[in-house]
Amino acid sequence: MAFLDNSGDIILDAVLTDTGRYRLAQGNGSFKITKFALGDDEINYGSYDKNNASGSAYYDLEILQTPILEAFTNNTSTMKSKLLSIPRTNLLYLPVLVQNSTQPTAKASGSSEIHVVCVDETTVGSSNAAGFIVNTTGQGTVADIALTNGFLNGFQPGQQQNLIRVDQGLNTNELAATAAIDADLLETQYIVEMDNRLGTLTRGNGDFAPAQISFVDDDNIASYYFSLGTDQNTFMGNLAGTGYETNIKGPAGTIIYFMIQASTELQTSTYLFQQLGAQTSMTNVAGASQNVRYIDSNIKVTGATTGYSINLPIRFIKSIPA
Amino acid sequence: MATTFKTFLNNDITSTKTLLHEAIPLTGTLASGTYNAGGATTDTYNGTNIKNYAHGMFQSVYDYPYLSSSANHIYDLTVGYAASSALSASTNTTMQSKKINIYNQMAQLMVGYNTSGDIRPFDEDGNLVAGGTKLRDCIFMSFARLLAKDEIKKGSFTLKVGTGSYATPFDNNSVITISDSGKENDYRVNSPAGEYAILSATAGAGAGWTTAPACGLIFYQAGIVVLSSSVFQSGSSLSGQNGGIGGATAGGGPSTPFRPNGTYISASLTGSAISSSCNYFRNRIQDISFNNTTELNSTIHFCRVNHNDFNYSSNPTYLSSSKIVVKNNTLDAPISYITTVGLYSSDNELLAVAKLSEALKKDPTNEMTIRVRLDY
Repeated sequence: MAFLDNSGDIILDAVLTDTGRYRLAQGNGSFKITKFALGDDEINYGSYDKNNASGSAYYDLEILQTPILEAFTNNTSTMKSKLLSIPRTNLLYLPVLVQNSTQPTAKASGSSEIHVVCVDETTVGSSNAAGFIVNTTGQGTVADIALTNGFLNGFQPGQQQNLIRVDQGLNTNELAATAAIDADLLETQYIVEMDNRLGTLTRGNGDFAPAQISFVDDDNIASYYFSLGTDQNTFMGNLAGTGYETNIKGPAGTIIYFMIQASTELQTSTYLFQQLGAQTSMTNVAGASQNVRYIDSNIKVTGATTGYSINLPIRFIKSIPA
Repeated sequence: MATTFKTFLNNDITSTKTLLHEAIPLTGTLASGTYNAGGATTDTYNGTNIKNYAHGMFQSVYDYPYLSSSANHIYDLTVGYAASSALSASTNTTMQSKKINIYNQMAQLMVGYNTSGDIRPFDEDGNLVAGGTKLRDCIFMSFARLLAKDEIKKGSFTLKVGTGSYATPFDNNSVITISDSGKENDYRVNSPAGEYAILSATAGAGAGWTTAPACGLIFYQAGIVVLSSSVFQSGSSLSGQNGGIGGATAGGGPSTPFRPNGTYISASLTGSAISSSCNYFRNRIQDISFNNTTELNSTIHFCRVNHNDFNYSSNPTYLSSSKIVVKNNTLDAPISYITTVGLYSSDNELLAVAKLSEALKKDPTNEMTIRVRLDY
């Protein structure tokens, strides 16, 4: 997309997204605009120079000169960061979402931020042949979390404790961790988006049942909605006063956690791996090098209240038989 | 409660209809010479932008050699006459059934049927009830939707054709102008194909006649021009205005030598293939121009941003260690910058997006209404 001409009057370049056209074509009334949001994807607030010696008129000079791109029609490529309405004007801190790296079951793989999903039984491993979670001596099962940090059992999620967890809170040392987060900034609902071709979210405990998909868009991105009222203790929790291990430094809010069930297509076929991924070798739980196919993707977690979002890198792997 | 969405109220959304017009000038060189195949003789002339088909029913004119992916289809040409035309009695019957089929096809679409279910012939003045002169021998021009869009704008169509010799069709004031000038409020609505008007001809200064005889019909929504062959030939062999315009005087002037061998259009309609008659006609097109019309149905969304709306951002760069970077202390006003407007469904699907050409500063001291128009 080109930049919009910003030499004269302000113009507005409006387009239907691909999803909008898809809904319009369905003709079932699903194309109905009911609300709007404002975004600032191009803005780098780091350019805001609040100490500029020339005065306040120069604080945002660079920001206002930011060239704006034409609208993207891909619905998942735009409105990444939304503006937020809060009636109070005296806020100095806003909560953020961070990937939990302190709870043993939620740690990412090695020193990276990535979680690795083993999509089939061979990749997970068994007593017959070591995989990336289970080895022939039985290690890597539920009791051996540390051995498999960041590796998720996408074949049978309930057979292992590892999960993905995102924590909300004010991540600053300037406020006491014991303080409560303001009620109007507490995330009570999360939206999680992931590629529906690759897998589905499941509960992180209990019966490990799959989460209910809200809708799947034209790019196969599935959206899930979780609310504190209905999903507490299955997908969500409240950090305040619970003793959860968290890397939020200040007042803590809520958490969301989930496991991933690999799709049947990833379990039984290499088609998507060939189309979307590549091959590499990784070290399995027995310390041996093993060739795998992999697909790198992202899971996006967005707080419905504050609009803050975080992209979690995720890798689906499938062992290549020797 | 912090929110990222604002719901539209009933008076925030309205719909409008706008008619958009574009001028379409089609120079005659496109039809008759820009892309000459080279070395072609006058009788067999076909530029590389002219597409003929094995079935021979019509001929397509492109703006560029049609084998190129850059070529755009401009219009189609064909000719035909009614079974009731005097021409159908000719002993020269080249492609006669196809010419009659073409006429019938066009007539049933544009004029429809009488109460007995028979196809009506084209009527010179559009008065189907009163009878009157019928156009039974016609040239048909069908403009591509790419150009005509929703319809040809009434009163904007002009076709200039030469009525001189075949070799020099535009010489000696022999160009006549066929148009629907002044028909913006003088058109007919009794066609099954929509609105249409009567085309009339005006001659050059030296033609010897200045009246404006009717010589065809233009169907605006269909984008089709039906031209009486009497434009090029006088005499009783052809139906149409006073037995033909003929190129010199209205009402019976000398006929135009339509074919390279000097014979008239009646001979071409009976003795030449459809594509040949189209070639001869293209040779006489000097200019075509009209305005098209696109009907834009728009929904306008008024995104009303109040003073206490959207003053904060979820942009990751907005915070440094959870602290808002545009504020030094709690007394500073929050500031955000708007670059994008997203329009959502009730379940948060992004259905449309609008980008501002420059960032707009938003803080608690200002309010704004952003008007987003979606055209369908």
